[in-house]
Amino acid sequence: MGVLTPELRAEAETIIARYPAGRERSAILPLLYLVQSVEGWVSREGLREVAELLGLRTAEVEAVASFYTMIRLRPTGRHVVNVCTNLSCALRGGREVYAAAREAAGLGPGQERSEDGLFTVHEEECLGACDGAPVVQIDFVNHDRVSPERVRELLDELRRGEVPQPARGAAPRDFRHACRVLAGVEELA
Amino acid sequence: MSEPTRIVTAHFDDPSVVSYEGYVRAGGYEGLRRALQLAPEEVIAEVKASGLRGRGGAGFPTGLKWSFVPQDTGKPTYVVANFDESEPGTFGNRELVEREPHQLLEGIAIAAYAIRSHLAFIYCRGEFLWPGSVLQRALAEAYEHGVLGERVLGSDYRLDVVLHRGAGAYICGEETALLSSLEGERGQPRQRPPFPAIEGLYASPTVINNVETLCFVPHILRNGAAWFAAIGPERSPGTKVFSISGKVERPGNYELPMGTPFRVLLEEHAGGVLGGRALKAWTPGGSSTPMLTAEHLDVPLDFESLQQAGSMLGTGAVMVMDETDCIVDAARRMVRFYAHESCGKCTPCREGTWWVKRIFERIEAGYGRPEDLPLLEDLAGNMLFRGFCPLLDGAVSPIRSSLRYFREELERHIAERRCPFSGRGPGLGTEPEPEPEPAAPSRPGPGRVTIPLSEVLR
Amino acid sequence: MTEPVTLTIDGREITVPAGTLVIRAAEQLGIEIPRFCDHPFLAPAGACRQCYVEIEGQAKLFTSCTTTVAPGMVVRTQVTSELVRRAQEANLEFLLLNHPLDCPVCDRGGECPLQDQALAFGPGESRYVEPKRTYEKPVPLSPRVNLDRERCVLCARCTRVCDEISGDRFIEMFARGAGQVVSIAAGEDFRSPFSGNTIQICPVGALTATPYRFVARPFDLSSTDSVCAHCAAGCNVRIDVRRGKVVRVLARDNVEVNDAWTCDKGRFAFSAPDRPERVTTPLLRGRGLEPVSFDEVLAEVAGWCRTGRVGILAGGRLLDEDAYALSKLARTVLRTNDLDHRRAFHGGRAEELAAARPMSVTYRDVERAEAILVAGLDAEQELPILHLRIRKAARRGAKVFVLHARRTRLHDVAEHVLVRPGHEAYALERVREALEAGVPEGTPEGRIAAALAAAGERAVVLAGPRLCEHPLAADVALALAERTGARFALLARRAGDPGALRAGVHPALLPGGRRVADAAERAEVEAVWGEVPTTPGRDAMGICRAAAARELDVLFLVGVDPLRDLPDAALARRALENARAKVVISLELGALEPYADAFLPAAAAAEREGHLSTWEGRPQPLRPARPPLGLARPDWQILVGLAEAMGPGLGFDSLEALRAEAAPLLAPREVPLRSTAWAAAGPPQWIAERVLFTYPLLVDEGRLSEGATELKAALEEEPFAELHPEDAEAVGVRDGGWVRLRTAAGEAVVRARVGGTVAAGAVFVPFNQPGLAANELLTGGFTVGVELQAAAEPSDAEPAAVEGVA
Repeated sequence: MGVLTPELRAEAETIIARYPAGRERSAILPLLYLVQSVEGWVSREGLREVAELLGLRTAEVEAVASFYTMIRLRPTGRHVVNVCTNLSCALRGGREVYAAAREAAGLGPGQERSEDGLFTVHEEECLGACDGAPVVQIDFVNHDRVSPERVRELLDELRRGEVPQPARGAAPRDFRHACRVLAGVEELA
Repeated sequence: MSEPTRIVTAHFDDPSVVSYEGYVRAGGYEGLRRALQLAPEEVIAEVKASGLRGRGGAGFPTGLKWSFVPQDTGKPTYVVANFDESEPGTFGNRELVEREPHQLLEGIAIAAYAIRSHLAFIYCRGEFLWPGSVLQRALAEAYEHGVLGERVLGSDYRLDVVLHRGAGAYICGEETALLSSLEGERGQPRQRPPFPAIEGLYASPTVINNVETLCFVPHILRNGAAWFAAIGPERSPGTKVFSISGKVERPGNYELPMGTPFRVLLEEHAGGVLGGRALKAWTPGGSSTPMLTAEHLDVPLDFESLQQAGSMLGTGAVMVMDETDCIVDAARRMVRFYAHESCGKCTPCREGTWWVKRIFERIEAGYGRPEDLPLLEDLAGNMLFRGFCPLLDGAVSPIRSSLRYFREELERHIAERRCPFSGRGPGLGTEPEPEPEPAAPSRPGPGRVTIPLSEVLR
Repeated sequence: MTEPVTLTIDGREITVPAGTLVIRAAEQLGIEIPRFCDHPFLAPAGACRQCYVEIEGQAKLFTSCTTTVAPGMVVRTQVTSELVRRAQEANLEFLLLNHPLDCPVCDRGGECPLQDQALAFGPGESRYVEPKRTYEKPVPLSPRVNLDRERCVLCARCTRVCDEISGDRFIEMFARGAGQVVSIAAGEDFRSPFSGNTIQICPVGALTATPYRFVARPFDLSSTDSVCAHCAAGCNVRIDVRRGKVVRVLARDNVEVNDAWTCDKGRFAFSAPDRPERVTTPLLRGRGLEPVSFDEVLAEVAGWCRTGRVGILAGGRLLDEDAYALSKLARTVLRTNDLDHRRAFHGGRAEELAAARPMSVTYRDVERAEAILVAGLDAEQELPILHLRIRKAARRGAKVFVLHARRTRLHDVAEHVLVRPGHEAYALERVREALEAGVPEGTPEGRIAAALAAAGERAVVLAGPRLCEHPLAADVALALAERTGARFALLARRAGDPGALRAGVHPALLPGGRRVADAAERAEVEAVWGEVPTTPGRDAMGICRAAAARELDVLFLVGVDPLRDLPDAALARRALENARAKVVISLELGALEPYADAFLPAAAAAEREGHLSTWEGRPQPLRPARPPLGLARPDWQILVGLAEAMGPGLGFDSLEALRAEAAPLLAPREVPLRSTAWAAAGPPQWIAERVLFTYPLLVDEGRLSEGATELKAALEEEPFAELHPEDAEAVGVRDGGWVRLRTAAGEAVVRARVGGTVAAGAVFVPFNQPGLAANELLTGGFTVGVELQAAAEPSDAEPAAVEGVA
């Protein structure tokens, strides 16, 4: 049972076509995002399919996939909650926000993904939005000046099936939708 | 200073410039128009004469970099815009793109024309979902209005620009690691020489420039090199977008002439230290630059002056700490960043950051030993300039500057066996909280690393 | 810049070619700079940072493995620079940070670059008190290779070998930073025929060989420099023996032959001579096969030969000297030209040239070529180290083309032209036409012609065994090479083949490629040997047919088992049944046990002194790693014994004497130009609508690989056939389904693999694989007409070939 349907394979071809002839390997990250958009993470089969598309060995694809934090090689929650705890955000309380997010998501020690499959909570490095510290990303769009109470609110909204309004711009419906935007096959609003 | 202080952020108050129409109304694409009337070599000469230096941290003269591109190799040339902005404390590029994406596109187009390139890439960090989308829309507008494509602004020059998104790796902001990543490899840096201008993307001559650097280019073409060169100090002309954050009243991006004293940025623009507290420490250019203290309030923010003060301009990302902040904790967090982002290729970075991170964790948790301080000193010396790329040198900055300016604070942590600021540590008879596992690249199966802090010898 | 460069290292001046790395220049002065990731055959990485040096005028230290020499450079290594010494010590402290103290249980102990360099350049103690990284260990990357991630220093030599040298990117670095690990993709083990090279190149005990796990310590071993005897690539090896048994084979460096590599068969298939099946006493058939003395059996065999007609079949095991002795024995003592080592008989003039003029193409020629045409050869499977050299040439920019019925593992660097077996001559002729017609670029043949024409002398045409299976193909390839000035080599796969050809183990050729039928050339040999029978003899299949028809009385089987090795199992059986006397000279009896009338135990290659010639024709010396077991003797000695039992002897009784006599006959000679029989090759040879073809893959059921369990774990679990999608569709067979293969010799039901790996109309099955003896389907050549039929899954019977109508 493959990950990529014929429609997705057609999208994959458009991704590969962005790059010069003979340089198809450059498409590896957007293709991984495309595969990730199907199940919310890249399974063994997904890696194999990307390898097949590009004429690479699965190990080569996994080598690249495992290098980057945004390519998920384990089942991931429907929503990815990134909380920055690097210096500027930490100075403005980022660690407390992170602890609050973990608690609000119902994560035990060492756990990353909530039992109900809704949330994966990550401690992140600098997200390039320090003017809005502490910064929380929901599915990779920014929420600024988030307090521990606010992050609890955000997770509650998500639980209710709502998409919270980010600090700037539009928000994806969920992590899988964000991955389609990252693959460049869909626009964000 | 009576020179205009806002060049690339001049339209930040006008929300309409995010669109093509608004950008053109504000004078956009004039620079490109002028460039197309010159020969490519003349464009390079103009940028050279302006004295523009890269704003991404290295400070290399931009025009000079462009002039290195050979035109006789038979290979295509490429322009890559480095939008991987990941240096802690830096957020200037993000706002430039979110507010005025066409400014970047114009800079890219001029750079591409100057080196006779017909294909440019924008490497946008993965976490910038929205800024990348803004760019995507601007690209569509640019194609629609004939700024990009077969006939740029009606000329016979053709140019394509592709948005390429990263996936979460600070190292990919390093030029050659960015190229590796763009080529679909693991984002590990490459040997230099050959330099990217000679053999870069796809082993072809490539110019890689920071987003902010490229944003200046249209203005230089529009207003002339001399105009730009007259702003700021001679060896660092022009303005710089300073990002200031942390313990300040008004964190944000402020475009100021190069050489503006830090005091001006902090007090006149950012509103001073939050809550009127005392300034304790600040990084001039992100966590990769050595921390400075209140002693350095009057240091001008430019390449040379900061170097003389024992630090660097870096990305101009100022993070401010006040008297209530623990430097040891700050240094610990910064070193942890480098350990997390180390690509793993070279021994001193991979093992050195791993080691130093654990030493700082111990000290902060109240398990420091007196011998840890000379050890840190020695390790910093064994790490500085010993790695394959400058990421390791960035890791050394918090180590050395905390030892230099805040040694007593480190000693206090060790003597009291706790952090005097948070109170945590065995010195108080309480167990330290286990440090949550940092966001490691996710991978299944064997190879998980489990380091219980409680197993430390003491 | 080709001017040599003079620089100073530690106060001593040295002049080296431009482009030399500082670390190499230092080595030439005898200065060993410590290193882990650097390796002379890999591109510089600069990863481990151990090889620091100081360069005058530079503030930072430089890694000597990435720095090329510059005129007037002044370098200081750890020998004269305290700064460098301390930097190297600091780096070793970092490197050892997470290293487990495994030396007592680590196979590398005693021959470990980390141990040696830590002792010489490292700190005595570590200041690290934090917990170390731990991993589950060992992790089997394949049945042959184990990975210990705790010991790994992440120098990436292994992944770089796989990337740069073999192109088999099964292992890679995963994750990043301190969590970086060497890994395979789960479920896709490290099944490269070159995986063992990563073990040898690993500077620590992270990658270890499963067959060698806990087997020996270096001081336990006695080591002998020799040459691998598995194929004609001629890898230089070191054979390690412990208590009389071979326990390990390592590659030796030789830039002229194998660089620093060998394949997994050469590395892991060394147990055959030690198996219980080995027979080390002479045997003679009385009521059963009874052990006798050499004198007895030789006398008996001599008796048979005096009164009977003799045919000789030889395999690929013979050393050069054995082949010469056999060639002389056949002509001067047994008075026959019925001897052959080959299994394909259309080598034509190319064969004569190969016999007469060795070293017409060398490994270096291949490496430096600008254009390479590989025709009729699957290099990775048949001459693995040549495959690596071709890849090396491709990396340097050579244009490589492969003309073959089946896609090879050069497909990522070479343009492949899939040609139906039998059509090779035609395809090569099309290339020649393209040359005449001024090279149209649109076709593959046009591109080949253009590349060969452009490269002229710097092109290489490699003709493989498949070309010898069909008339004219080899000669057309030779003519093509001569037309463009390219160097030409006819390649044989087995280790003994080049020597056997040169020595004249051939019905129509005497030593040095001199034709039996040419009086003048024959006279050159007769000047040394005396009279030689004047009529060319029968080739190998002809000998079998004669034996089957009772036209031969005595059949010699010297290192060959016709039941398994010859492309017609049914004929082989009849030959063995009908020949009156069968003399087997081998290491074991195997399937020949019911047939052998006399058995003469031969010494194994690891027990031999002598020479093996590479496919280039380069003789390389073997040395015995241990004495022959039991009563086994070198083949040449057995043959001399037989000659002496028959009276005349062979005229020499020592290797030196044999070599002295052979030298002038085997000296390179010019083959006079004759008008060749070919003008245009004509339309493709029609064999049948669909054609089955086969050749041995690298890892198979060959006798020399017996006992190599870990190596043979790579054998496919079930027999398979590769079909072209058009053929599969035409008969209704899908990928993964079952297909019946029916030839004139028999039929078999095997799993079908449908894809673009074979030419249309061609069906491939591997020769000599478990579950399918392909030669049961063959009728005298490695190509045969075949009928395909979709089949149901075989119930419980093995899908082995069923004997059809003979």
